[in-house]
Amino acid sequence: MKILDSLRFRISNLFRRAQMSVEMEDELPSHIQHRADDLERGGMRRAEAERRARLEFGGQAKFKEEIREASGGTLIESILQDFRYSMRSLRRTPGLTLFVVITLAVGIGMVSATFSMVDALIFRPYPVPHPSGLVTLVGTTLDTSYEDFSYREYLDIRDKTTSYDGVLAFAQMEAVGFSANAGETPRIKGGMLVSGNYFQVLGVQPRLGRGFRENEDQVPGRDAVVVLGPNFWRHEFGGDPGVLGRKVRLNGADFTVIGVAPESFPGMQIFSHPDFYMPLAMAQMFGVDRQKNFFEDRDDRQLYLQGRLKPGATLQQAQNELAVIAKHFESDYPKVNRGRGAFVHTQFEMRTREDDDNWKFIVVFVVLSLAVLLVACTNVAGLLLSRARTRTHEIALRLALGTGRGRLIRLLLTESLILAAIGGAAGVLIGYGFIEWFHSYQNVIFMTDLPNALPFQMDKRVLVASLALSLLSAVACGLAPALQGTKTDLVNGLKGAEVDVPGRKRLWGRNVLVVAQVGASLMLLAASFLMFRGFRHELLEGTDFNKDHLLMVGFDPRLVQYSAEQTQQFYKLLADRVREAPGVEGEAVTQNVPMGQIGQEDFDGLAFVPDGMQMPRDRQNFTSLMDTVNEEYFQTMGIAILQGRRFQKTDSTDSPRVAIVNDHFAQHYWPGANAVGKRIRLDKSTGTPVEIVGVAQTIKYTSASEKHMDFIYLPLAQHAVARMILMVRSSGDPLELVQPVKDVIRAIDPNLPMLRTMAYEEFYLNAAVRGPGIAVKLVGTMGAVGLILALAGLYGVVAYNVSRRTREIGIRMALGAGRPDVLRLVMGKGLAMVGIGTLIGVVMGFGVERLMNSMLFDAGGIDFVVYLLVVPSLFAVTALAAYVPARRASLIPPTQALRYE
Amino acid sequence: MGDQAQLLPGTLDLLILRAVSLGPLHGYGVLLRIGQISGNALLIEQGALYPGLFRLVRQGLLKANWGTSENNRRAKFYELTVAGRKRLREETANWNRLAAAIGAALGARPEEA
Repeated sequence: MKILDSLRFRISNLFRRAQMSVEMEDELPSHIQHRADDLERGGMRRAEAERRARLEFGGQAKFKEEIREASGGTLIESILQDFRYSMRSLRRTPGLTLFVVITLAVGIGMVSATFSMVDALIFRPYPVPHPSGLVTLVGTTLDTSYEDFSYREYLDIRDKTTSYDGVLAFAQMEAVGFSANAGETPRIKGGMLVSGNYFQVLGVQPRLGRGFRENEDQVPGRDAVVVLGPNFWRHEFGGDPGVLGRKVRLNGADFTVIGVAPESFPGMQIFSHPDFYMPLAMAQMFGVDRQKNFFEDRDDRQLYLQGRLKPGATLQQAQNELAVIAKHFESDYPKVNRGRGAFVHTQFEMRTREDDDNWKFIVVFVVLSLAVLLVACTNVAGLLLSRARTRTHEIALRLALGTGRGRLIRLLLTESLILAAIGGAAGVLIGYGFIEWFHSYQNVIFMTDLPNALPFQMDKRVLVASLALSLLSAVACGLAPALQGTKTDLVNGLKGAEVDVPGRKRLWGRNVLVVAQVGASLMLLAASFLMFRGFRHELLEGTDFNKDHLLMVGFDPRLVQYSAEQTQQFYKLLADRVREAPGVEGEAVTQNVPMGQIGQEDFDGLAFVPDGMQMPRDRQNFTSLMDTVNEEYFQTMGIAILQGRRFQKTDSTDSPRVAIVNDHFAQHYWPGANAVGKRIRLDKSTGTPVEIVGVAQTIKYTSASEKHMDFIYLPLAQHAVARMILMVRSSGDPLELVQPVKDVIRAIDPNLPMLRTMAYEEFYLNAAVRGPGIAVKLVGTMGAVGLILALAGLYGVVAYNVSRRTREIGIRMALGAGRPDVLRLVMGKGLAMVGIGTLIGVVMGFGVERLMNSMLFDAGGIDFVVYLLVVPSLFAVTALAAYVPARRASLIPPTQALRYE
Repeated sequence: MGDQAQLLPGTLDLLILRAVSLGPLHGYGVLLRIGQISGNALLIEQGALYPGLFRLVRQGLLKANWGTSENNRRAKFYELTVAGRKRLREETANWNRLAAAIGAALGARPEEA
């Protein structure tokens, strides 16, 4: 009711106000008539008296405006009035208004784009009810703090913990061969293995049918059921509700569709949105490690665990509880759990894990974009400040007439709010454009058949943040000018003199602006140069292998239900036949390709112990990334063997096991010695011995930004892997080999799909050059925009400051100062400001460079070239900005300069 | 004109209150009354008076009624409210204190300081 009352009050107030302006229309003429009466009494003719009275009264319109202002009325109304007034005064200076709006738009656009990224990567909550109750359980080892769990470990944790309403498990989304009908050639879709309680613990209600039941995940291989993701259901089945109960083929086996997840639940992961979910108990149909038994081996760790905390249970309790369980694991299963612990993380902690680079890049982007906004705001503040100065007279008049200073400040702030609102709206558009531009690289970033997508969007959260930021920058840009502007000295102000009251404070504000601009833009430039150089540096190093004239084709014989032996047979046959195909100069079969980490396929890790090495007590083995390759791999890929030999036909299942390590590995474990002939043992110090027969050149394996790492190659003949990639070397365009390769495969097995068929060079460029290139472009854009804004702002502020001293310069010259003296005087000041700004900028720039070097990549020390290029240009611009008006001022005859303004 | 002093900010309100305190007046009358009681020493732009009047009405220090003037014309008459009378007393006391203090300060001889 209160709201209604106040509304009624406001409305009646509005009517009262309408009444007042009617009265005003009567009252002012009445005043003029009375004055005319007086004049008439003094002997003037009536007509003349009335004319005179009107003249004396002055402009009615102007006073009416002020009367309206004085009589106030509702808050809404006075705001509307401010708004009208502000719009009018902004329209009077369209050029300045446009410049301010563009400047703010650019600044806010940058920030809102990076906001949407940081929100997607870090802050956006899980798409489930009560997302804050969900925590992630991770294992810890000596090498990583984010280890997965095995199936057995999951069952123990699920059953022994009491802090949770439920603990769920899921595996990474993987490529699954999907066909809607039995006869169809399978297509690759993204499927995710999840525990039976997955949807129930998350609190996700299927939009159709049901989620899994707990008992559907108990007997391995029994319940072939599948829940579809919302997008997949729409695209593949046209949103048909009749899909329930239907049989679909996954990796060649029939699965019954039992439910469809709701639109609101695209999946728990940031980048990957599964097409469908299968129960964990069906794991042996999918990408489990064939060397291990998923359901029994406690060290077959492929599961991610999440739990929903019971109401009242704290994170600390859950952590303590899990730590105890991990201790029990360690004592009960010392062989596979030595040195292992476990920990519970919140969503935020998981999103900002220290071994993930993505969010760090984004945080760097946010910092840089805020720096751009800072530069933009200082620019705008500088402009508004000079604008406020030229309005001294108007402001003084209003103050004299009794308008409160608070009211005036509000009026001036309204102006900057309007500017910020327009700028903010335009900024959101720019940010939107930025995100769209980024999305256009989606295929470059995820070169995969799986349903991956960039999660960045201009949603409500980002809009609100951008709006808040616009308001904040309006206040930041507008408040200082408003405060200074209304502190006008009345007497001088009314005289129309545009003079400064002597004092340090007034100059201080503008000097800070100059310093801040120089500092921020320097930092931006340092950062963008560093990234540019860092990527170039990385691209040039460790990528010395063949990329051109290579066709890559992926295979996964599990899609057509090959056994391990059939698979081995297939790859041998494939290599032999392709080698004979027309136009083929060479072939290779490899589990993964360099830079192949993009998407879901990662290099596997291999646990080993260098033979004869005394392991520390708490450590059972070391791990290294590995690849499985055939004999031709090094030859075809042009990866040099520095010592020893390549794999040979004689390295077979019957012969002793062999491996090739990279140079980094060899130096790491046998510094100064020849690694060839040394042995490692798999898994543990009593494990299978493997002899190192060669040392390969170290290249980049996972990404352009990686540091040198250990790497082991195992021969395909001795290490069976289902999913492999065929590389074919051509003399001409590699894509011309697609048909010959297709013919070869059709002859072997027409049902086997060719996955991810593309020129490797294209793949490599996307993964290693274009992907990082986006980041470089982004940062480069920010750096360039920041610099342009800063230079424009710098010029503006310095030139304005000097031109305001025209009169002073005139006086000085009248008193005998020479032109050089004057120039020295005004330029010295500006240059000193830039000097201080440079100092601050250099310090901040060093800081940013160090931070980026330690966080992202090592571009090697500090980039002095940047400073050598940029600092002089800043000084040059400042000098020019000071010189032009100073010269003009010094050319004016003193007599005229004194009358200036 | 040259002898007339510029108004200090905020003093217009006080003058209006004072003028009206001697009896209800219309706008032009207020202007005349101020001229009369200040010995024509203060300059007030005619139009500038009205924002002040409206402001005082809004603050509840004045109330306004339409009536007929001595010239037999329709005019709006302003008179003090209770709050206005109180405000006038306070402001007058304030002003006197301030004037006395400034007067004393300006009149002080250097050696006394």
